[in-house]
Amino acid sequence: MINLQPYANPMYFAILGVALLPLIIGLLNGKRLYWYGTLVSFIFLVLIFDGNKIHQGIALIGYGIYEVLLSWLYLRYRTNSKNKNSTPLFVLAVVLAIAPLVVVKMTPLFSPNPSLLGFLGISYLTFKVVGYIMETRDGVIKTFDAVKYIQFLFFFPTISSGPIDRYRRFVKDYDSVPSREKYLELMGKGFHNIMLGFFYKFLLGYLFGTLLLPQVAHLAMISRGGFLDISWGLVGYMYVYSCYLFFDFAGYSLFAIGVSYFMGIETPINFNKPAIAHNVKDFWNRWHMTLSFWFRDYIYMRFVFFAMKHKLFKSRITTANVGYILLFLIMGFWHGETWYYIAYGIFHACAMILTDAWIRFKKRHKGMFPSNKFTYAMAVFFTFNTVCFSFLIFSGFLDTLWFH
Amino acid sequence: MADNDNVQSTVMSILTDLTGSDEVTKNPDIDLFTTGMLDSMATVQLLLELQSQLGINVPVSEFDRTQWNTPNKIIAKVESMQG
Amino acid sequence: MKLRKSLWRIFGPFIIAAAALLLLLYAPFSFGKVSNATLRRASVSMSSNILKGNKVKDQAVKQGYVPFIGSSELSRMDSFHPSVLAAKYKRNYRPFLLGAAGTQSLTHYFSVQAMGNQMKNKKAVVIISPQWFVKKGVRPSMFDFYYSPVQTAYFLAHAKNTAQDRYAAKRLLQLPSGTSDDVVTGALENVALGRKLTSFQSFYVKDLRGKMLKQEDAMFSEDFLKNNVPKIQLAASKLPKTYNEYKLEQLANQMGAQQTKGNPFGIKQKFYQNRVKPLVKHLKGSQTNFNYVSSPEYADFELLLNQFAKENTDVLFIIPPINQKWANYTGLSNTMIQQFDRKITYQLQSQGFNNIDDLTQDGNQKYFMEDTIHIGWRGWLQVDQRVRPFLKDLKAKPQNYKIQSRFYTKKWQTQTDLNQMSTTK
Repeated sequence: MINLQPYANPMYFAILGVALLPLIIGLLNGKRLYWYGTLVSFIFLVLIFDGNKIHQGIALIGYGIYEVLLSWLYLRYRTNSKNKNSTPLFVLAVVLAIAPLVVVKMTPLFSPNPSLLGFLGISYLTFKVVGYIMETRDGVIKTFDAVKYIQFLFFFPTISSGPIDRYRRFVKDYDSVPSREKYLELMGKGFHNIMLGFFYKFLLGYLFGTLLLPQVAHLAMISRGGFLDISWGLVGYMYVYSCYLFFDFAGYSLFAIGVSYFMGIETPINFNKPAIAHNVKDFWNRWHMTLSFWFRDYIYMRFVFFAMKHKLFKSRITTANVGYILLFLIMGFWHGETWYYIAYGIFHACAMILTDAWIRFKKRHKGMFPSNKFTYAMAVFFTFNTVCFSFLIFSGFLDTLWFH
Repeated sequence: MADNDNVQSTVMSILTDLTGSDEVTKNPDIDLFTTGMLDSMATVQLLLELQSQLGINVPVSEFDRTQWNTPNKIIAKVESMQG
Repeated sequence: MKLRKSLWRIFGPFIIAAAALLLLLYAPFSFGKVSNATLRRASVSMSSNILKGNKVKDQAVKQGYVPFIGSSELSRMDSFHPSVLAAKYKRNYRPFLLGAAGTQSLTHYFSVQAMGNQMKNKKAVVIISPQWFVKKGVRPSMFDFYYSPVQTAYFLAHAKNTAQDRYAAKRLLQLPSGTSDDVVTGALENVALGRKLTSFQSFYVKDLRGKMLKQEDAMFSEDFLKNNVPKIQLAASKLPKTYNEYKLEQLANQMGAQQTKGNPFGIKQKFYQNRVKPLVKHLKGSQTNFNYVSSPEYADFELLLNQFAKENTDVLFIIPPINQKWANYTGLSNTMIQQFDRKITYQLQSQGFNNIDDLTQDGNQKYFMEDTIHIGWRGWLQVDQRVRPFLKDLKAKPQNYKIQSRFYTKKWQTQTDLNQMSTTK
């Protein structure tokens, strides 16, 4: 049995291209071949989760049944006009939705083997489910359509690592057929994305990740012994790892988006030139955007809304700051239960709080600081280095450097 | 219920308050998010103010940034929700 | 018609580029021979792409270069380094250095097996570092650094159901490199189980991927070579014009004395300043528990021996010592080193590899070691005493090797009770 890992090698793309051909011809002629699209999705899911990944495949099926049932039950509750919009029930639904993910993430703390519930992409599916439940709570999703919901959850181009789409946005594309001009434009963009993805992931990602990273890591390891083991090798590692992280992940995202376009689904973009962000806030509007927007919309804004409505804190500033800490701590824990992911979260929360404080300070003292091309460039430079430092924490290399 | 002029002036005064500048009245088609004039915190405040001052309930899910990104668009949205 | 035009605008450039690339990668033309100047440069570059490739090595051996297989000690290019002596005194051989810091038996095995019968009835020199034989063997990241897909493709294309091939495949599967390509992983699993490759796997490693990798090797492996030729020339310029054992010995003493001034270990002062001094306090007694007697490296090393036996390659094995003062300081056990020495010597001799230059007792000689574990000055001269006669004739006589598959077993890898084996054949 052959097993394919998404976007791992040119062969995957070749097979994908052939498999999508009927769908593409259909869309070019104004028809969406639903049954064929479903078949292709199904076959690719089987190919990703078969062979030695079969235990993951089983976990995926179990997880899918569980989450679809849960979403359906909660939606039934919400759409019955006799029911109140009970907050404890909503909380329970969210807790139940994230329970499998929590188990998977906590397992490494207690056991050397990964959890049997885990599979490639579980985090990303959980985001989609929780988003769905929250929108159901808000009453903006009113009908349950099992087929569309499953198509949305298990949309195979984005199954392993996003981008994280939203149900209502996805369904809008899924239910319609783009005009030929529009679809040709999508194909052009999609193909450009895939080619750029190759350049990012297989060329630059390889250059930084495979060729340079071991070299700087080696250099940093042999120069241990100074204050906090800091060395030029470590500085090199920081930049090389940051570049690797971007090109690898942005490359992957471009593949997922490009393939979605060919299927007539406009999956949202994930990266928008993060290197030119002028502060950390701006950075999070450019880096892993679907994740950060998810956290923004479903955690931060909801928390702030709740806190202000119920006047949990005296000042807006405190509310915002607690919101940041909450958001980034959750993001840290979501990445994994290690000290460096959590430190990464706290670091970004602090960076956001300081950024807000700085913006307020500048507003109060207008005219005190010059604002020109040079100061802007300084801000970009400073942000870039702050972010690279946070990625050094994120990489876990400090753990190796200091404790192993 | 408030008439349309009221909606316009209420929204503008909320926005002027939140952004700390009268740029919004001068340029009602300015993009509030890409310019950094509104952030998530201010957005939530906007929603809460709309609720308390105009009695409009906008759930966070309904708030799609591409449809709420200029003063004029916000006014249009609010008017449509009132009607 | 408009549709066709639009589609061509999107995909046309790609189609043209892809066609050109395929032509380049699978075209039946070869890329010519490696020039003599490049060979000379490659022979002392120790660059990883030389080790990982086949083309340059194969041609070098054909033209009379002799593989000197080792690791970091090869980079100690003082005036008495084998490459310097051979060039200066216009010997009938030139060393082709294979290895660098971090290369161990497994890397060398895959490199040498891919040379195939190029090594038939030829000679080679192998410097065995005791430091390779640590508890877990080669570090996966290090192995990965020198991992060569083209050599693995060669291995798979020629694999048979033998203890050697099964062990090599199994070993590779334990490392991240061996699972980096799904089809190759599948093929390795088959070899490990003693099965034949499926027809697709065979097509993939021989034609689809194998040909492409071969072309790649041919196109790129000569590029980005580290140029050590000036270093060799400079080192050679300090030697007397004609070869004279006594004069060389004197010069080695003189250079050694000059360059080791300033530290208590008798090692090169530059090395001491950069690498030892910052950590010297931490290192005291730090190696008390080092053990080179139980290691998967013994089985990895057996792969290499097996390969030499297959091609009737005559090999001189050099076992370098450890700087005695350094060993005393770090607490490295002499008894353990002797055990290591006995074990590796037993593995060699019991299979008919009798050409061994065992230097493990020379760690306390002055100016023998350039630093803590690498031979230099007088050490290299000592090595030359064996290399020169060994390479008088570059053709190997028929050897009497008797490979025993028990050296692949876990039992042998971890065996520390040396009384169970006799030191005689």
